[in-house]
Order: sequence, then C-alpha cells, then structure tokens
Amino acid sequence: MLYRITHITKRIKMGSDPFVIAGYCFSMLYAALIVIPLYFVIVSAFKDNTQIILTPLALPSALDFSKFIQAQVSVNVLRAGLISILITTGAEALTLILAFPAAFAVARIQTRLSPVVESIFSLGFLIPGLAILLPVYMMTAKAGLLYHPIALVILYPAFSLPLTMILLAGFMRKLPRELEESAVMDGGNVLQIIYYIFLPICMPGIITVLVLNFINIWNEYLFALILIDSNNRTIQLALALLRANQRSIDYGLIAAGVVISMIPVYIVFIFFQEQIMQGMLAGAVKE
Amino acid sequence: MTPAVKIISVGKKNGPTTKYSQRNARRRRTTFIFLVAPALAWFLAFMLWPLLNMFYISTTSWSSLNMPKKFIFLDNFVRMFSDPKVAIALRNTGTYLLVGILGVIPFAFMLGFFLSLRKPGYRILRTIFFTPSMLSVAALAMIFLGIYRPDGMLNSFLNAIGFEATNRVWLMNKSTALFCLIAIDIWGGIGFNSVLFFAALASLPEELYEAAKLDGAGYWTIMWKIAFPLMTDFIGVVTILQFLGILSGAVYMILLTKGGPGTATFTLGFYLYDQAFLSGRLGYSQALGVMIFFIGIVVIVLIRRASSRLSD
Repeated sequence: MLYRITHITKRIKMGSDPFVIAGYCFSMLYAALIVIPLYFVIVSAFKDNTQIILTPLALPSALDFSKFIQAQVSVNVLRAGLISILITTGAEALTLILAFPAAFAVARIQTRLSPVVESIFSLGFLIPGLAILLPVYMMTAKAGLLYHPIALVILYPAFSLPLTMILLAGFMRKLPRELEESAVMDGGNVLQIIYYIFLPICMPGIITVLVLNFINIWNEYLFALILIDSNNRTIQLALALLRANQRSIDYGLIAAGVVISMIPVYIVFIFFQEQIMQGMLAGAVKE
Repeated sequence: MTPAVKIISVGKKNGPTTKYSQRNARRRRTTFIFLVAPALAWFLAFMLWPLLNMFYISTTSWSSLNMPKKFIFLDNFVRMFSDPKVAIALRNTGTYLLVGILGVIPFAFMLGFFLSLRKPGYRILRTIFFTPSMLSVAALAMIFLGIYRPDGMLNSFLNAIGFEATNRVWLMNKSTALFCLIAIDIWGGIGFNSVLFFAALASLPEELYEAAKLDGAGYWTIMWKIAFPLMTDFIGVVTILQFLGILSGAVYMILLTKGGPGTATFTLGFYLYDQAFLSGRLGYSQALGVMIFFIGIVVIVLIRRASSRLSD
C-alpha cells in the first residue's frame, strides 16, 4: 500500500520534472518538423501549382485525383509499380532460398569455418554501393542482362544477404538444441530438418527479414538507375522522372508520384512496425 | 543428392578424439559447406568480385565499355593528388560528414533517452520519429525539392512570418545548397537513430537508474553520467552507420543539384558517379572509389577506437 502511494506521488512529481517538460517540447517540435513536410507532400498531390504555391499547407479544396491520372499517363506508374513488385518478390525469394540454409549452417553446425563465413558476410556492410556500381554495370553488360529487370533480381539478394544472414542466424541461435536432435533420431537429413522443422519455427525471424528487405529493395534507386532503361523502369525511377518530364516543375504531379511510391512501404510499416525497429536495431548492433 | 548427414548436433567439446568423432567433424564440415556455398558464392560474385574489379579498373585508363583499357598502374592515384576537384570534393564531403553526424547523433541520443523513459505518448512519438526512414532517397529528394524550390514551402513560410529578406533559391545558392542537402539527412537521421537509441537504452535493466534517483540525481545527470557511458560503443556503431551512409551518398546530388551550383555540392560520391557515368573516365572513377573505400575503413577504425577509449 505504502509502496503504491509513493509510486503514484513519484509519477506525479516526475510529470513536472523540467527535463521531462523539455523532452516533450523538443519531441513535439521535431515531430512537427517531420509531419509538416509529409503533410505538405500529401496535400500537394491533390492541388495544382498555384494552390501549392499560394496556400502550401491548406487542405485541398476538393479530392482531385487528376495528378495521379497524369502521373499514370506520363510515366506509367502502374507498370513501374508492377515491375517493382516483381523485382522485389523475386529478389526476396532468392534471398531467402540462399540465406536460410546458410544461416542454419552458421548458427547450428559447429565448425571452425562458421566465424570465418560470418565475417565474410559482415564485409558487406563495409562495401559502399557506389564503389561497386561501375563493376556491377560492366558485369551486367557482359552477361547481356543490361536494362533487364532480371539483373536487379540477381543483384539485390547479394546486397540483402549480410543483414539477412545476421538476423536469421541470430534468431536460430536462440532455439533449443533438442530441435534437431529429435529429428536426427527419426533419421531426417539436413535439408528435411531445415525445411520441416526450422522453416516453420523461424517464421517470426523470416517475417522481420522479409519486411526489412522489402523496404530496402522497394526503395533502391542508384542501381536501378544505372541498370534499367525507361522501358522497364521501377517505381523509384518513375518517381524521379516525373520531374524530368516537365520543363517547369509541376509539383502536384511529383507529389502524387511520391504518394504512390510510399503507399506499399507505409502499409507494411503499419503492420510490422515493431519488427522493423527490432530488426534494424539487431542489424546495427551486430554490424 | 543430399549428403546423408545424420548427426549435425555438436559433439561433446571435451570428449575423446576418437576416429569416430573425427569422421563426425569432417561430416559436419561437409554439410556446412554444402549449405553455405550458394549464399557465399552469390555474395562473392556480386559483392566481393565487383570490389576487386574496382581495384583493377582503378589502375587503367579507360574511356568507355567498348574501348580497350590501358594499364597505367598508379597514374590515376598520382593524378588525384594534383586534381583540384578532388580537393574540393574532399572539403565538401568533410563538411557533409561533420555537419551530418554532429547534427544527428547528439540529438538522436537525447531524444532516444527521453523516449526510453516511457512517458505517456512515447509510442506515438517513436512512430512519428521513425516514419522518415521508410522513405526512399528518390522520394526524399522529391519531397525536399518542393520545400526548397524558389516558390516552395520554405520560402512561403519565411514570407508568412515576415522574413522576406531570407528568401532565396535554396538549392541554387552557393552558400546554402550543401547545407540544404545535409538537412535532408539530418531531418530523417535524428528520428531513425533516436529510435535505435531508444531500443538500446530500453534493454538496460531499470535498477541502473534507481540508485542514482535515490541519490537525488535528475534525468539530465542520469542521461550523461549513467546512460551515456553505457552507450559509448553503441554510439560508435550508430556513428559508423551514419558515416557510411553519407560517404557513399550521391543520389541527392544526382537528382537535385548535379554537384552545383559551381562546385558547392560536389562531393566525392558525386565525383565518382560523374566520372563513371557522365564524363567517361572509368579508370579514374574507380580510383576515386578506392579512395572512398579506404577513407571508410580508416574512419571506421578511428571511430571504433574513440568509442572504446571513451568507454574505458
């Protein structure tokens, strides 16, 4: 009883702590700085240029979707979105097929090779994408895959592997040893153990990995810019093109493109916020 | 097809090394290689092999993919030292890094600490702070284009509060362009990193703060005297991530400024891109890549050292 009372008074006291008040002030200020530009972009998508310039933060006078239609007409955002979905799906699947058995090996099979393999993958965090941009472009050209979306499906898993390996291996290390022991007694081989036992158990880890990779792959711009031409442009390329198409900037059109490109990622964000944050933290700590 | 490995669980560590367990170890290794090989091959082929290629191309003079390469050994690197553009790019990149890191990490740490106190509303604040990190670089560039352009949001805001005099063409002004680009990184970077700090601080045991509270220490003291020393390693990690992101960044320059006006936003990353894909000096571009790579490694080692010294 006494404890509860002191607990409550403590809470009230802390409410007026100047540090907490300052914390709220700065947090609100920063939150406003984040929300206002995002709000500005979203409302701009429903306005024409004069409205955007004269009343940037006013709500649109009507729910006018003409900028979205215009975006579709000028750069075919639907097709670009579809290509992005296909590339993302392909790259995600490939990443998982490659990484899951490898992560199992690193996490569950004890050999001296294990730390070596792990540190090779960690090298991936040190390689600046920009530095390998030209060599990758050359490889793609040599393989005859330049300007073909398949090139990105092949390439993106290589970028995703380091983080995927770390997160999946980390997840598998926490599982009890008995898992594969019982399967071994039943005479299962490794691939069966991986497929029938580890794959279902690791679903939470897999979801985290899929979500993080989805965001990274969907949002990738630089390699798509170099490796893909205008016939197969991804959603990010289409978005950037909305600006190049016009001699004078039609900001409503650009804003509509931004909104379209954001939608899938924010849908995923709403449902998997916790996994995204935890996954990014685990990735950062391990790096 | 699949190797018939029946026993993959760990052998007893200090068991006798009989022939049986030796064979076991060999089997384990075969399985291990079998499972790791595809991922490793993929990674080596599309990450490490291009990296090695970067080193090789950096020793050549080469103008386009259809032209023959000429081996010139270290000439590209010698040229870098007398290239005034390298000096400019280094200075701009240095400014970018300094402002982009110092403008993010301290604020992110303090906001993350505040969030970790779990005061009412911390969840919604955390979500808001995290939203910018979901945006692609292309989307960020396009959003801020609408803010910085001559009749954009920033200027109309300044007009509204009576600061017409500070009105300018933000991205085409030599003294503001670079800072406008850095501001995009800071804008989202504080939020992203504050959530990372929040998660790291939230994993600390609560009793840590209790003793200090009993001694009458305020949150400010707790933040710097207790939380900060425990976080130095993590601050190092976060700084490295922020550093690498900026060092190899070029998209804002590609989409918004083309390195200009003049050379105001001409960074190392953009110089590499420009040489490789706009100016047709492939060999030289990769020499710049080698420099960026080594700057990255050296600074990472320095940050690691500094953060481990701080934690001692």
